[in-house]
Amino acid sequence: MNRVIRRLAIGLLACYALLFVQLNVWQVGKRAELRANPLNNRESVRQFDAPRGPIVTSDGVVIAQTVEIPKDQRDAGSYAYQREYPTKELFANVSGYYTYAYGATQVEHLYSDVLAGNTPKQQLLAVGSTFNSVDQTGEVQLTLNSELQKLAQRQLGNREGSAVVLDTRTGAVLAMYSNPTYDPNTVAVHDNDEAGAALEALADAPGKPLLANAYQERYMPGSTFKIITTATGLEAGFISTASEWPDENSWTPPNTKNPIQNYGKKTCGGDMFEVFRRSCNIPFARMSADMGPEVMVNGVKKWGVGEQLPIDLPNAATSTFGGEVADFTDSLALLAIHGFGQGSVQMVPLHMAMVAATVANGGAMMKPYVVAKTLAHNGTELSSTSPEVWRRPISPATAATLNTFMVGVVNNGTAKCCLALAGGIQAAAKTGTAQLNAPGETQRSHAWITSFAPAEAPRVAVAVMLKGVNAQISAGTGGTLAGPVAKVLLDRALKVVPQ
Amino acid sequence: MANTVSPLAVARRRSELGLVLLAAFITGAAYVLASLGKNASLPARIGPFLVSLLVLLVCAHIGVRKFAPGASPLLLPLATLLHGIGYVMIARLSDRLAGLQATWSLIAVACFIAVLVVVRRVADLLRYQYTFLLLGVFLQLLPLVPGVGFSSGGARIWVSIGPINFQPGEFAKLCLAIFFAGYLSEQREVLSSGGKRIAGVQLPEMRTFLPVMLAWGVSVVVMVAEKDLGSSLLFFTLFVVLLWVATERSGYIVFGGGLFMLGAFIAYNMFGHVRDRFSIWLDPWSQYNGKGYQIVQGMFGFAEGGMSGTGLGLGDPTRIPAVKNDFIFAAIGEELGLFGATAVLAAFVFIIGSGLRTAIRTDNAFEKLLAVGLTTILGVQAFIILAGVLRVLPLTGVTLPFMSYGGSSLVANYMLLGVLIAISHSSARRLHEVPQ
Repeated sequence: MNRVIRRLAIGLLACYALLFVQLNVWQVGKRAELRANPLNNRESVRQFDAPRGPIVTSDGVVIAQTVEIPKDQRDAGSYAYQREYPTKELFANVSGYYTYAYGATQVEHLYSDVLAGNTPKQQLLAVGSTFNSVDQTGEVQLTLNSELQKLAQRQLGNREGSAVVLDTRTGAVLAMYSNPTYDPNTVAVHDNDEAGAALEALADAPGKPLLANAYQERYMPGSTFKIITTATGLEAGFISTASEWPDENSWTPPNTKNPIQNYGKKTCGGDMFEVFRRSCNIPFARMSADMGPEVMVNGVKKWGVGEQLPIDLPNAATSTFGGEVADFTDSLALLAIHGFGQGSVQMVPLHMAMVAATVANGGAMMKPYVVAKTLAHNGTELSSTSPEVWRRPISPATAATLNTFMVGVVNNGTAKCCLALAGGIQAAAKTGTAQLNAPGETQRSHAWITSFAPAEAPRVAVAVMLKGVNAQISAGTGGTLAGPVAKVLLDRALKVVPQ
Repeated sequence: MANTVSPLAVARRRSELGLVLLAAFITGAAYVLASLGKNASLPARIGPFLVSLLVLLVCAHIGVRKFAPGASPLLLPLATLLHGIGYVMIARLSDRLAGLQATWSLIAVACFIAVLVVVRRVADLLRYQYTFLLLGVFLQLLPLVPGVGFSSGGARIWVSIGPINFQPGEFAKLCLAIFFAGYLSEQREVLSSGGKRIAGVQLPEMRTFLPVMLAWGVSVVVMVAEKDLGSSLLFFTLFVVLLWVATERSGYIVFGGGLFMLGAFIAYNMFGHVRDRFSIWLDPWSQYNGKGYQIVQGMFGFAEGGMSGTGLGLGDPTRIPAVKNDFIFAAIGEELGLFGATAVLAAFVFIIGSGLRTAIRTDNAFEKLLAVGLTTILGVQAFIILAGVLRVLPLTGVTLPFMSYGGSSLVANYMLLGVLIAISHSSARRLHEVPQ
């Protein structure tokens, strides 16, 4: 029988050799193919279901964090970590959300590697702690201040619109809030179906809550745009502080029969200082038409209109003047209307804050940024943002002139009602009431203000835009509606930003 | 008696002790690494664990030293190594099951020692061969008894008596192996001669062939009524291999193989679940969201492991359904890689080698056939499930000996190991390597 037993041994050995061969096929030969199979989500789940560092405001408030789900509350094979947004809606437009099936947005998207600890620097730092691989996550520190942000939220209340607060000297975003928004916790759930349904509902909701209206949307700016028109005139030498404009309540541009009127059909005119603070429309319409398409379009472009805003967040919007030189060559009337911010001019709220900040900053337009620095798990600084000039649309002299014009708006103009700052600090501003309705329809308008303070040594700029979604919200001018919001934000921002 | 000191026995037991301690060391180290990988901390109660591990393995060793001093020094260390790695894997997959498996480990080692104590002369088992036949058939058919047996995971192989659930089939294997070995050792002369010739194969007399047909009938019942394809295949293989070894006639392999093919063909056409197994085997991808999910996840696990594995506690094997039972080898492939999985394959090959060497060394026909039978059970059962997991064969759910979670399987395999070691010892005695 031993002969047969030896044969049996050889047979069984052959069977196990076959197993060994197949083991090599799966583990070596077809390894790459199997790992790349679209059905294989081991790698992506592992990357998703991992510790992830927090996003923190400049005053230390955590706006996004990852918590480990206690073992006894986990189902077999379910996720071990949950991303949480303790401040709910407040910072949704800056932090974004982090999901498995639907990716990530905003800071969660752009700084994903830092938060997960996957940057080369962090991996170098983690070498040597093989067993303690849990904590190589990074932290993102924002420039935003939670108190200012909360104030912006409270001031907007249930009105749709945006509020942006900038440090005029650096471009750091101190607050950026817009309504409507959403709670990222409702999207960052582990159930993919639930997350998908939440996102779909938000995508279909009116007012586009998923879009950060403050920097991902653009709106007709109304009279706030007159800052740019005036700057273009001053830079091109077409106007000066001494320029005078006739008192009139109607002016018909060349080659058209439709007259242009001032706000409320008032009679309005005077020197440059007066027409700016009173926000007459006709002088700026005349100014644009006189300068002509070439000067006007190129002057506007110097402000970055027509270019995507250089903020360190994804998918920033692009402001638009509504046409190129050729579009206005045969239509000076259109150019005239665009000159006071009507027609198809559209500005991003953040951009309007940058315009005020540029005047405040002596003509240097800073790149806006929300991330101050990134840190490794042990506190080592991985990166920090240095302020950068984006462009210089105007000279310091022009900036100084515009500063006095904007002070006039506050002291004796369209913002007189509302911008008396605490401690007698002098603010400078320009209001806007962007008329959305055609003549004869119900009054509907966006209310704007863009401002900075203190006028003599500016530190902060605030832009507020309230969307004219209905006649009720539109029952007032930019000064009366958006002005009070700007005042509260300026007062607080001056306390936050040191001299 | 065995208490008399023999230099060869001392040398064998020293080797065994060294190897058992090595297996204990590997198990303990793996246990610590799995906890570090999973929780980034040392396991809770690491002290008690290491002490019980050591006590358990040394007890098993002392059992062999006391009652089977001449036995091969390889069998116990190989089994404890597989048992240890399997236990670490189960503990890594589920804390709750780890506690249960630890209790079963204790019972298994106790049963192992009990077998060594009871089976002092293996040849004596021959006298009870028909008792074992009845016991084997009884145990195998027990799950079919209404009120006692129940189905789980599609197969009706479970029995519930009071608070204890177990799979009697695991023990039936051992009983039927004893019967086959006894019966064939007595009938081999008759079976290998006489009878009619059909298609070049000399068939024995129908009268002697009848009990063998009964065994085959049991395996058919197992397949049809209990839907346990793996066990059915195992019984049939056991029966054919023993017939082949006993008669030394290759015709039985051909005949058995043909019978198996026929059975497989009929089963394929008759039963939906058999067709399912085949279609999953041929193309699991198209059924990824259904029955193919498990095998595809297993393959992903192997791929994830690569050469050196993700490391214990660092992989993601919990996503493979039934990973603690049938698919434990996929978890090993993922976390210990090709190297670890090959070590497991090698351990099974060495167990088969030791078992068959034991069979060759003894000149008692019953012991020889029994050693072949027991080794075949271990080797073929492991092969059936490993081949299923690796997609070499259609998947049929059986446990991986010594490694899978489950009390019945662990206890039965340790008892089987006990008998094998007893045969090894008795052959050493017969060869006068140790005193009679």
